[in-house]
Amino acid sequence: MRTLVFIPAWNEEASVAGVIADVRKTMPEADVLVVDDGSADATVERAREAGALVASLPFNQGLGAALQTGYLYALRNGYDFCAHLDSDGQHPPEEVARLLAEVTEGRADLAIGSRYHAGAIAGSDDYRPTFSRRIGTSVFRFFLTLATRQRFTDTTSGMRAANRRVMALFSRHYSPDFAEIESLQLAVRQGLRVEELPVRMLERAGGSSFLTPVRSAFFIFKGLVVLLVGQFRPRHVETER
Amino acid sequence: MRLAFAAEAGQVHLTSQTRIVAAVLALVFMLMILELIRRDRLQERYSVIWFVAGLGMLAGAAFPGILEVLASLLGVRNTNVALFSIVLLLLLGLALNFSVIMSRQAAQITRLAQERAIEKASQQAAERQRNGSSGEQPLQAEEQSFES
Repeated sequence: MRTLVFIPAWNEEASVAGVIADVRKTMPEADVLVVDDGSADATVERAREAGALVASLPFNQGLGAALQTGYLYALRNGYDFCAHLDSDGQHPPEEVARLLAEVTEGRADLAIGSRYHAGAIAGSDDYRPTFSRRIGTSVFRFFLTLATRQRFTDTTSGMRAANRRVMALFSRHYSPDFAEIESLQLAVRQGLRVEELPVRMLERAGGSSFLTPVRSAFFIFKGLVVLLVGQFRPRHVETER
Repeated sequence: MRLAFAAEAGQVHLTSQTRIVAAVLALVFMLMILELIRRDRLQERYSVIWFVAGLGMLAGAAFPGILEVLASLLGVRNTNVALFSIVLLLLLGLALNFSVIMSRQAAQITRLAQERAIEKASQQAAERQRNGSSGEQPLQAEEQSFES
């Protein structure tokens, strides 16, 4: 059984090495791949020094394209399972390992780490979302639940674990700039078992969030368009193995 | 009867001078397209649509009756308004066509970048395997090959 843990990173030289070290310590049997999304700083060098494989996109393509690169790498290189987490230190690797266990033990095809799931809030209050993030979160939560008829609490979570069915689907189709929400909708529509697990998340170790109020509004609008269009995509397309 | 009247009114708007100017412009336009293709500045597959536009312009100049028929089909009394509406719609279609082409090319560029990134990472993984277990030593080798 081979497992790949990949980390999309864009200008995260301050935190990427720490994240890699944590992942290698927590999951020594897994291969670690950093998908560098056209970073201008020393992200690639830091990642290599920390002992990760690096897939470097020649220019910035957006989170969706970076994540798809990871899924494609896992699929092509015959990994049985893969997981990804953010490069800014918000996601504790122990929680990723729990998501992976969910997938390797066959309880789900795709496991999502949720900050807002009922179990997570009781666990810790390390994570404090900003106001605009809270609005976006609840809007997306509502519409994604409506679209998929499955309850999702954390639609923009970048902490996930997946098996080969999901790799095949996401390598073929993954929205380049609206990755998280559309991919959930797509996976549910294709009949995959998507499951949310409560996880603990931390404050960012480095870098800053890209969400300002205006951008959040735009982000929400774009997300709704994407969800609406997604409802009209064909279901159950044969997935290559 | 009404069609004949519209045609009569149309003649007033489209004088023979404007028809000649339009025809010459259409010909110059198509020559420009040819020249762009000849110099490899425009690919044939994207030029078809422009030739159609040029021929349309030429046809409109040579046979103004076409325009009047179109105007009456649209239910527009003024042929000038009909002309502008049709041109505007065509341009809108063209712009959409370009957005579609752009989206396809953006997807192709992304996939190309991903393939290259994956290939490099796979090379790195293979090199690591050749040098034994994953650790600091193969990383050093990788670093050197990266520099050279």
